[in-house]
Amino acid sequence: MATAEELAPRLSEASVNKIWDVYSAFDWPDTLEPSAEWYMSPELISIYGTDIYNALSEAEQKTLSFYEVTNFFSFVLYGERPLIEGLMHRMYRKATLGVITDYLHHFVDEENKHMIMFGDFCNRYAGKVYPEKKLVLPREWAKGEEDVAFFCKVLIVEELGDYYNLIMMSDKTINPLVSKINRVHHIDEARHLAFGRAYLTELFHATRNHWSEEEMTSFQTWLANYLASCWGDFYNPTVYKDAGLKDGYGIRKMALQHDACKQMRERASKKVVNYFLEVGLLSETPAL
Amino acid sequence: MQESEIIGQLRDWILERAGAASDRLTDNEMPILDEGLLSSLDIVEFILFIESLREEEVDIENIEPEVFTNLRTLYDAFFADKSQVIAS
Repeated sequence: MATAEELAPRLSEASVNKIWDVYSAFDWPDTLEPSAEWYMSPELISIYGTDIYNALSEAEQKTLSFYEVTNFFSFVLYGERPLIEGLMHRMYRKATLGVITDYLHHFVDEENKHMIMFGDFCNRYAGKVYPEKKLVLPREWAKGEEDVAFFCKVLIVEELGDYYNLIMMSDKTINPLVSKINRVHHIDEARHLAFGRAYLTELFHATRNHWSEEEMTSFQTWLANYLASCWGDFYNPTVYKDAGLKDGYGIRKMALQHDACKQMRERASKKVVNYFLEVGLLSETPAL
Repeated sequence: MQESEIIGQLRDWILERAGAASDRLTDNEMPILDEGLLSSLDIVEFILFIESLREEEVDIENIEPEVFTNLRTLYDAFFADKSQVIAS
């Protein structure tokens, strides 16, 4: 595998060659009618395969797909906000000077455009971005742990998002604007993922030598719990309420326990979990 | 719901989530964060549980970590004066 230093100039060049303008890339229809078409591939809808989903009419399922994709764009947007903040914070350090920082500029530029694109869709058609409910509580970190945790979070938001992007960008049955947003996102994310995997692998191998066995176990426990907690974003009670379903919180609890939903989470997480296992960031497959 | 009932539900949720024995939260002033009963990763789930009790969304931007100090601060912030944390 190429090192991050070898990869960064090639990725920077690709970013320049594929540069796009977020303000002219899309033709935004004036309105979208939630019940008129699919906005998310049905198999990606959070409660697909459950009795509650099966009991809905097709128009109700389509309405749900509209709010689900709005929620997906919302939490990816909120995932990209701390990502940009963290990348900016890591530029021009001794360890990132040169080609790495050069690439981080592209990374930040592209993430900023993604946030604009997602925010525009949500505000135009749903009248809101679903607010996140996260609150970061202060905690202590082992030496270098915060940086490793940061790049793990980056990889998780991008790998899970990309699983959805890949399916929706090729799905000709869903709204073409949604499909295009997923395609545009995926093209940039493919570079971010390549860089993220290479950089995190090197960072982790350089950092883990400073950790005790206890610190390593504690990190692996945190990472498994963090990945599981990320899946909570997909089951938003307000989405269910907006789609006209009763007891949104109850539906969330049902879906988090339901076998069909669990299998979906495992499928979508497989790539990032395998990477974490291969590198040693996880010691066993986490329960999702 | 009465205050005692709400606090009881908050207590039960926290203890179950943390897998902790009931003597970890015997009164409303016992520390939650300092005792490690909640972490950042539990907050989303806990906020959604609180919203289901309140039947109203919470505006997380108005929440400071100190709100999670103990059961009393939780009740005061989310239930006694709901105008503080209602989502607009």
